[in-house]
Amino acid sequence: MTNAAADLVYLDYAATTPVDPRVLETMLRLQGVQGDFGNPSAMHRAGWRSHAHVELAAERLGALLGTSADRLVWTSGATESNNLAIIGAARHRRHRGRHLVTMLTEHKAVTDVFRALQREGFEVSWLRPGPNGVLDLGTLQAAMRADTQLVSIMHVNNETGVWQDIAKIGECCHARGALLHVDAAQSVGKLPLALAELSVDLMSMTAHKLYGPKGIGALYVAKRPDLHLEPLLFGGGQQQRLRPGTLPVPLIAGFGHAAAIAADCMLSDLAQLRTLRDRLWAGISDLPGIRLNGDLAMSYPGLLNVSVADVEGESLLLALEPLCVATGSACNAQNQEPSYVLRALGLSDAAAQGAIRFSIGRPTTRDEIDFAIRQYRHAVQVLRTMSPDVAA
Amino acid sequence: MSRDPYSERVRALFASPLHAGSMSTPYRVLVDDQGIRIELSATLDGDVIQRLRFRAWGCPHVVAAAEWICTQLEGESAARLQDFAITELMQSLAVPVEKSGRILVVEDAVRALGAAIKVSSTIAGQAEQD
Repeated sequence: MTNAAADLVYLDYAATTPVDPRVLETMLRLQGVQGDFGNPSAMHRAGWRSHAHVELAAERLGALLGTSADRLVWTSGATESNNLAIIGAARHRRHRGRHLVTMLTEHKAVTDVFRALQREGFEVSWLRPGPNGVLDLGTLQAAMRADTQLVSIMHVNNETGVWQDIAKIGECCHARGALLHVDAAQSVGKLPLALAELSVDLMSMTAHKLYGPKGIGALYVAKRPDLHLEPLLFGGGQQQRLRPGTLPVPLIAGFGHAAAIAADCMLSDLAQLRTLRDRLWAGISDLPGIRLNGDLAMSYPGLLNVSVADVEGESLLLALEPLCVATGSACNAQNQEPSYVLRALGLSDAAAQGAIRFSIGRPTTRDEIDFAIRQYRHAVQVLRTMSPDVAA
Repeated sequence: MSRDPYSERVRALFASPLHAGSMSTPYRVLVDDQGIRIELSATLDGDVIQRLRFRAWGCPHVVAAAEWICTQLEGESAARLQDFAITELMQSLAVPVEKSGRILVVEDAVRALGAAIKVSSTIAGQAEQD
């Protein structure tokens, strides 16, 4: 798989990935009159054929996650999965308690859900990780109360790549009678997971981060007698009424195929990503004032977040073209607010503004990394020369 | 590229900031506001701005605006600086209206430079009379 857009050097795989050509082929075969286009809920041969693709996809995704296919609910993506998991669980258990726990460094698709629940009368404890982004288990234990119903901790942080020890976090939650939800949008298909062995109750994921299509995700719901979710959508009996709506079979089949490929490639992917990330860091780590945001020892190797002093993020982003990377600021015309994730790790506004997230993917080459090193060094040098703070 | 926030002019000026730099001159100001920092330094030939240089910490629109100003004002009378307005600049660079606050910081820097030059000239004039 190579970058089709030859004028771009794409290093933003944490934002999204291209669809694997094999996945695309699977999806295309299901479209049109010659394909298995039937409604998978229909009681006829066309429906049954479609349903078989859904079953295969669930088996493939279940195998990747180390769980059974019947524990998966199809959604439109990780954002919907997060909403269904957090709101669905919190509302169902509200008669038992209204205290919830999450981290300041979660994705907006989680933090905004908790804020919505706060407006419904739930009380939320917002945990701050250490300066390296890792949550201290003692911090979590101290926040847990008798009325804590749900804890939501992401597996791999989307900005820093830092991963949390969800096995120990799950044990801590279960010891106190709380459910654990994990936003795993950045880790499913990238890091080994064995859900059957983990004390994880709910896990959100999406296909487009693992070379599958956009618009399809899933929520893992563990089999526990006290685990029930209130649905957010109404209108049909699909998926045990938890998430009604006609299933998008081509997208689901694509997700399943992408999961199967990820299972096959994961170890070689990880080795390749680690080599490239280390090469990238070695190529820029000697720049004066550079800072690694996160912890290489506890990070997914496809992601490197760095910031430099005296460089403004939006200008750095433009100076880096044709590199496609992400900046540490919200960075649009209306909002120049620095990344709240990096601010929570203790970075100053200026350092967070100048942060760049390089995210490496399966198609990334060594030449692209070398180009990124040269481009980054040049851009930093040019912008620093221009900065009143450096040369005054 | 319909969502590209930068006009061709902004991209060109940002890519080639020929007036980026600083000079050792009495006519130098630094304005720091709204997270933007602009330094302007000038040399004069009589009342005429001979050379104008900038340094900036800001978004690409700010950098492009500073470069545009230096290009426009070199060779002009220093008296123009004090009533400089960003209207033409905003149009020429197609700056989004949301960023006008930042561009006003650039305007402040130009006017501050004009004021600094006027004060220096007044003091020099008084010294000559004394």
